[in-house]
Amino acid sequence: MKKGVVIFAHNSRQIDYALMSVIAGGLAKKNLNVPVTLITDESTVEWMKISKIHNKAKKIFENIIEVKKPVTNNQRLLIDTYSSTMVPFVNANRATVWDVTPYERTLLIDSDFLIMSNSLSEYWEADSKFMISSSINDVRGDRMGVLDKAVSDTGIPLSWATTVMFTKDKETKVIFDLVEHIRDNYGHYADLYNFNPAIFRNDIAFSLAAHIVNGFEYNSHNHLPPVLTAIGRDLIHDVDDNKLTLLINDEFTEDAVVATVIKDKDIHVMNKQSIVRNANKFMSLL
Amino acid sequence: MDDRLKKALDFSNFRQTVNIQRKNLKEKLQAKLTYGHAGGIFYIDRSLISFVQLCIDQGRTSGVPLLDSNDNPIIIEDLLKFKDEIFDRYFSAAFEYSNEYEALKKSRTVEKLLNL
Repeated sequence: MKKGVVIFAHNSRQIDYALMSVIAGGLAKKNLNVPVTLITDESTVEWMKISKIHNKAKKIFENIIEVKKPVTNNQRLLIDTYSSTMVPFVNANRATVWDVTPYERTLLIDSDFLIMSNSLSEYWEADSKFMISSSINDVRGDRMGVLDKAVSDTGIPLSWATTVMFTKDKETKVIFDLVEHIRDNYGHYADLYNFNPAIFRNDIAFSLAAHIVNGFEYNSHNHLPPVLTAIGRDLIHDVDDNKLTLLINDEFTEDAVVATVIKDKDIHVMNKQSIVRNANKFMSLL
Repeated sequence: MDDRLKKALDFSNFRQTVNIQRKNLKEKLQAKLTYGHAGGIFYIDRSLISFVQLCIDQGRTSGVPLLDSNDNPIIIEDLLKFKDEIFDRYFSAAFEYSNEYEALKKSRTVEKLLNL
């Protein structure tokens, strides 16, 4: 069975997803030892050429597949330590991965998910055809709220589409088609499942789809491991081989910062600008 | 700031760093003890190791149904090989955890903690 990793990257003016995807793709290829495919669009590829990372991208990615960039009105708050701005959020085509993936068994990851171990290799041969992370673990341990665990305060448990693994067959096609249907009827499902529809979130759409396909029951089994997460307020201080030094905090003040080291462990770094600022260090490892 | 309070806050920051490092070490250990085999996902712990050894001691070494971490029944064709693999993984992960944990215990400054 041909297996591989797929990453989506559609640049916005504020966030260099292309650069992040090269870093995430390079780390995935290095640590999981499988091919990686990038799904992107024409303008993002153009930017890769201008910013001189296209050659590196061609070395890292087995395929660079260009698709039409989704039109979006989706906006979200981009938190970068002590500041934040509203930015466009191009995430509406994630469910098309089923159609575009060149692999029979695919690990779909976000471009801010840095694979620094081979832990996910254990799941390639698992019997489950569709697996998603059931939770996130805060790197500090005490900053997760209700809406990080459930789609709403009275809703079903929230799964995290940061990592999704699936086998390409008719059974999983139903799930991905359903995610697209939920995206197209997001307001309706927000009423049904009582969540805030202000921002389209793949995490919510995938959670609902998995819940519906499982007979309107939460599937407490067959998940990918929890996603270790550094939130937007955290900063990458240093990068070494499979080792990140992070400055993490619980307050909007520099006085409350605590340092920590993550070594040989996959991590979801929500502060995208912090990845970009450390891009040279990451690139030197690839 | 009162010097006593400053010292207490400095120590609090150090302890917090230790606690976070310890939590992250534990998470790394859990990831390393997760083992995919024959379509199942097993968490290697003392009870799995003991049960596998018990089966072997009772002469059951092939075609043995084990429940994985999700309670899915997985037929293990060669239990001796399975035992060797989970033993190796357990000790490799546990030794690494032990070494890093000891280093954590001996560290007396944030700088040393971060150099582990």
